[in-house]
Amino acid sequence: MPMKKNWLRDYIIKRLFFALIVALGILTVTFILVRIGPTSPADKYLANIAARGQDVSQAVAAIEARYGLDKPLYEQYINYVANLGRGDWGWSFSTSMPVIELIKTHWIYSFQLIFLSSILGALVGILIGILSAVRQYSKTDYIATFFSFIGISIPNFWLGVMLILLFSVKLGLFKTYYDSGIPIFSLDNLRQLTLPVITITTGMLAGYTRYTRSAMLDNLRKEFVRTARAKGLPERTVIGKHVFRNAVLPLITIIMFDLGSIVFAGAYFTEIVFGIPGLGRISFNAIFADDYAVVVTVTLISAFLILMINLITDITYTYLDPRIRYD
Amino acid sequence: MIKLKIFIFLLMALVLLTSSCRVAREAGGDYISGTSAGDAETLNWILAADAASFSYSGHTLDSLVTYDNEWRIQLRLAARDVEVSGDGLVYSVTIRDDLKWSDGSKVTAEDYVYTLKNLMFSDWLNYPYQSDWQEEIADEIVFVTPEVVSEVTFTLTRRTVDPEFIYTVRGLTPYPKYIATKYEGDAEAFTQAPEFNNLSYTGNLGPYRFVEWLRNDKFVVARNPEYYLGKNTGAPYFEKYTIKIFGTPAIVHAALEAGDITATNIDPDKVGKFKGMEQINIHTVPSSGYMLLAYNLRDNGWEGLKHKEVRQALSTAIDKELMIEQVLYGFGEPAFSFIPNTSPWYADKGIAKYGVAPLLDKEKAKELLLEAGYATRKTDGSIEVGDKEGKPLKLTLITNAGNDVRESVGYLIQQELAVIGIEVELKFVPWATELGKYLRNKVPGSDQEAAFNNGAGAVSEEPWDLLVIGFGTNPLAPSGTDVFYTTKGGLNFWGFFNPRVDDLFKRVKSAEALDEEVRKELYAELSRLIAEEQPVNFLAFQLANAGFQKSVQGIEPGINMGYNYHLWYFE
Amino acid sequence: MTNWLASINYITGKVGGIRKLILILMAALLGVTILLDVLVVEKIFDPLGYLYIALGTLAVLYGIYPLYTSRRLVGYYWERASQNRLAVAGLAFILFLILLALIGPFFTTDPTATNFEEKNIPPLGFTIEESVYHPETQQSISKTITGSGKHPLGTDNKGRDLLAMIVSGARISLQVGLLATGIAVALGTLIGVTSAYLGGKIDNILMRFTDIMMTFPFFLLLVFIVFIFGPNLAFIVLVIGLTGWTGTARLVRSETLSLRTREFIMAAKALGASDSRIILAHLVPNVISLIIVIATLSIPGVILAEAGLSFIGLGDPSVTSWGMVLRAGQQNLDTAWWVAVAPGVMLFLTVLAFNFMGDGLRDAFDPRSAV
Repeated sequence: MPMKKNWLRDYIIKRLFFALIVALGILTVTFILVRIGPTSPADKYLANIAARGQDVSQAVAAIEARYGLDKPLYEQYINYVANLGRGDWGWSFSTSMPVIELIKTHWIYSFQLIFLSSILGALVGILIGILSAVRQYSKTDYIATFFSFIGISIPNFWLGVMLILLFSVKLGLFKTYYDSGIPIFSLDNLRQLTLPVITITTGMLAGYTRYTRSAMLDNLRKEFVRTARAKGLPERTVIGKHVFRNAVLPLITIIMFDLGSIVFAGAYFTEIVFGIPGLGRISFNAIFADDYAVVVTVTLISAFLILMINLITDITYTYLDPRIRYD
Repeated sequence: MIKLKIFIFLLMALVLLTSSCRVAREAGGDYISGTSAGDAETLNWILAADAASFSYSGHTLDSLVTYDNEWRIQLRLAARDVEVSGDGLVYSVTIRDDLKWSDGSKVTAEDYVYTLKNLMFSDWLNYPYQSDWQEEIADEIVFVTPEVVSEVTFTLTRRTVDPEFIYTVRGLTPYPKYIATKYEGDAEAFTQAPEFNNLSYTGNLGPYRFVEWLRNDKFVVARNPEYYLGKNTGAPYFEKYTIKIFGTPAIVHAALEAGDITATNIDPDKVGKFKGMEQINIHTVPSSGYMLLAYNLRDNGWEGLKHKEVRQALSTAIDKELMIEQVLYGFGEPAFSFIPNTSPWYADKGIAKYGVAPLLDKEKAKELLLEAGYATRKTDGSIEVGDKEGKPLKLTLITNAGNDVRESVGYLIQQELAVIGIEVELKFVPWATELGKYLRNKVPGSDQEAAFNNGAGAVSEEPWDLLVIGFGTNPLAPSGTDVFYTTKGGLNFWGFFNPRVDDLFKRVKSAEALDEEVRKELYAELSRLIAEEQPVNFLAFQLANAGFQKSVQGIEPGINMGYNYHLWYFE
Repeated sequence: MTNWLASINYITGKVGGIRKLILILMAALLGVTILLDVLVVEKIFDPLGYLYIALGTLAVLYGIYPLYTSRRLVGYYWERASQNRLAVAGLAFILFLILLALIGPFFTTDPTATNFEEKNIPPLGFTIEESVYHPETQQSISKTITGSGKHPLGTDNKGRDLLAMIVSGARISLQVGLLATGIAVALGTLIGVTSAYLGGKIDNILMRFTDIMMTFPFFLLLVFIVFIFGPNLAFIVLVIGLTGWTGTARLVRSETLSLRTREFIMAAKALGASDSRIILAHLVPNVISLIIVIATLSIPGVILAEAGLSFIGLGDPSVTSWGMVLRAGQQNLDTAWWVAVAPGVMLFLTVLAFNFMGDGLRDAFDPRSAV
């Protein structure tokens, strides 16, 4: 056992080091991409300034000077990295807030959405998947497949608008938009998340259904299942205890990935349509406003999350299956 | 349970009774204004350059003076209107003496002068609109001179006359000196100052007080019980005022229909539908925004466009009323000048009204092109338009992608010019591309930095012939529009250089224009001249449609309908 | 005559296979045309045309040809796949779509031709009210518009024929889906197979690179790049292709790892075949079933990504894609619902069809796989 701990520790250190390098690389690439683009944060003012009949060049220069964007690129980069080193994530000039505060305020709106959708999607998806596998090529299987694929095939932004027009405008069951004044941990909030969660869940369902189905089919053919059946165990026990349990671990990995990788961008369309002030809208608006501090931070955090989830998954595997060794 | 219901019913009846007994209006209700335009960038207004930012902070901080729908003066922080000396050089401002910052200290003339001198005119803060407060003396740009006269009075002294400077002065808002001095000289600290980003200093200076700003979601202010205009009236009458930001226009309209928001602007094509709804009021009001078709007079445009006869011919072929009917669903008025007809300076005497009968005639357009040498007469008497060599004409029209109205206008112009035999190729490009590759220009081969007007000889990176774009004119001070039409104008994208226009704009900003009759005549002359020259074809002034829930009372529909919004109330 | 054949044989032997020869010739030809395109002003193909030719050649040489040579196996798989009725329906719809995209434009009007006199016409059998405001009288005058056979699906707010736009959109969406997936899958396969076959340091480097690519949030990156460099369809296709290969690379790698030690590879090695020959002629054809499944299942994602880009205003404004029509229709959903519904339904059916087909193929090839 101590042997294992030793290599594992080395492995984790190695991976963390790798994560750090990757993060630095991503930071550099993103920073350069934002800053070399042909657009300037001052561009969007032009229409307004022009509408007021004022001289643009002066205003544009003033705005660029104010945010230090008139300095050479390498100087901006060094400044930015130095600030990061001190734990200063920068000031978001398109929202007038410290970047870290911005993310702290808004992450929960995306997270609640994706958390609920993932749970719901996984529950329903796994159930349908099991049903599908147990009755492979039956009518049930076809209907299950059909419905799980309908969801993934409707663009989120289209479905969302349709749901609002039907349930909010025509039937008056819900508000037409997400009311951020309602406390996050309340029944009312759960209620107003109904339509957005349905929108996202339908898109996730197919993944879970199909994965569960194939994992179940895989295990159904295995020796131990045949043995269990031969022992005369009831089918319910065979499926639940032997087949499903073996399929569930990889599934958890998928759920983890869903949570990690789409916290930032996955719910963007749903956020737009339902007016949810989540990180998706924050990140994309930052892109459109050339607010590099936000863009870089969002990309970094998101990449870091994915790296960490990878690592945790790998480590979990070594405990679940002691034969696994990473070198 | 039943008892509870009866109790609630009685309670409500009581509330209703008492409220109807009162004569004075009671404040109540949550006003939600929906928009799908972008969020503001800052509440620290001196840093702002976008309209949303100014409008947000404006709810908590009044300007000196505002205007009603007929452009009559409505006093706000000023005790009386700005006074101008006879020679037009000294502007004297007197503010009310009951204005207070949040710490209870008085707002004084010193705060205003400090804001001007130490903040707006400073070189560390980079105020984007400094040029509003500058004048040119012997090739040198200098600021006007602010000076404190008394606790409530200060003056601004110019060295040259600009009759329209008064409109800039009237819009002035102050920063509290006692807070701002803490951050003076440090742009970063000033930008991040919590007092300015939370609007926590605004005292009794606006109808509302800042509550919350959740980015990309909502801006919330609450009734300011100490509002200086509310002493006798109890105004404002909304408990809370919220600006709710939507991600897509489709849902804003749905929200108004469902009654989830109080008001929003309605797209022209949806007005018919909303007019049919019982719970919605729609006010159709003029706006100062106009659309225009610009001709590229620079060297990379079609050379024919350099001739004013050709420009007149093209403008004669494009039906403005048809455009308004088809694209704006009737919500617009044909434009012939950069001055809207709601402006006190509007005059259409002698102006050439291209695009409406009788100056709307496709055959006449062809004949004009024939006279200019850009067409040939066939044996059957018909006229075929072409370039100097007689080859068919193909012009490139650009506009920014994603703006459905402008794209439609582009298509309609394509349709109209096809009738006289000119093929128009449409290019819809992203805004950033339009700015960078089509509007910014420089002299080829030179080491100039590309700008929006680098003078004669400068051309844009990509060639273009026609451009559909929209601008706004300040109806009170149209002279600001000189940036588009004068030789040195910073936004003279299309390269229109005309000494008479330059001269007229100069005169409008000179002492002789202090006489309003003279100024009006100068503007009329300018409108006539620009209409005659047709560097751009003014297409239409748009009408805006504001949709409200019927329960909102006290609205005076008009071009500035929000001027008295602190007196609006729920029925 | 014999001389000529002999020399071909000689060259073929030199470069290692007739397919490689064709590949080299095609590459040379494309190179020349590109040069002509750049140097001589005359436009020969647009950027998408080049992608088509390049990917088409690859698909024929390494997809269709191997499938043809193993007809019996394909027949067996077809037997299995055709049991899945959803997959067959999906395939039928895709074939219909391809047909629509290829010959549809000959039967419809120009999708970009506007006619404001005929705007906002509802589909055949529907009637709507439209009102126009008159500033002089301050009154709105309503008129009734009835759908007609001239525009069976109706028109949009610029009078463009919706049917023509849908047909044109089918072409664009298929183009985007096929091309971007083609690039991604070709790249992913190459990297995956190479990585697994060569192993060691190269495997390590390639897989680390794949890991890094995977850490970028895909859609965020896409939006980011398209926003910065401008929305051009060919560019969008390239970006999706160049960023979307990571999943393929991983799956192909693990599949190849199990192939690497199989007898026929060993035999080829023992016979002195070069690495590139083993990769292209032996390994790639053996993962082709996996590649087909991956490709079929990633096409819907790509089509939706393009629609998504259009929805947030980053679609190519010069093409009539379903995404662009959908975006325009979405703005007017309450007044002209049909403009959003028609492309929405087509998008939905197309994505569904590819998903069904991909799922059926996966089931047929290997019911246990977890693509």
